[in-house]
Amino acid sequence: MPADLEEIRRMIVEELPGSEVEVIDETGTGDHLRVDISAPQFDGLSRIERHRLVKAAVRPRFDDGTIHALSIKVLER
Amino acid sequence: MADAELTERVRELIAGNEVLLFMKGTPTEPRCGFSLRTVQVLDRMGIEYGAIDVLPALQPLREVTTEISDWETFPQLYVKGELVGGCDIVEEMFASGELAELLGVEQPETPDVPSSAADLPAQSPPLDIERN
Repeated sequence: MPADLEEIRRMIVEELPGSEVEVIDETGTGDHLRVDISAPQFDGLSRIERHRLVKAAVRPRFDDGTIHALSIKVLER
Repeated sequence: MADAELTERVRELIAGNEVLLFMKGTPTEPRCGFSLRTVQVLDRMGIEYGAIDVLPALQPLREVTTEISDWETFPQLYVKGELVGGCDIVEEMFASGELAELLGVEQPETPDVPSSAADLPAQSPPLDIERN
């Protein structure tokens, strides 16, 4: 089943309060998503650490096979 | 729980290769769009690197890299024993010149990175150009 983009967005915002998140279906198939995000929690973190936070927030949808690929683009606040 | 023997083997590979890419497929035959894009960046840097095809042991290797680096998706690029990141991070660091600096090479001219929209993952369905 294709990912529910609004649910994915909500999962990230719940994990990273104050973040601004847009979830984009990159291929039209609902399983290759891109997240454009800015978040106060990113301050002082490396790229790797920022990506880990976002991926951890949506891990249940990776684990159940809903999402195959997640591209993350960190936007400057 | 990751397999102990495989974990040890992966640690040895990471330590023994200055630049090491875990990818789906091989550099000449990538089996995933993200692996392809990462290979393209590395090839543009003109460096030698080790490449490991994770597909024959995807789940065991996922468990191993999660344990070693807290990172479970592929591709994964390691430089000097440290995880640099996946395709997004590698492309960003390429565009900014940080990757060249990390690798100790000259930044190639015209560092145009293929845009994700123009370079769909290989497993994407073919575009339907008949539909109006």
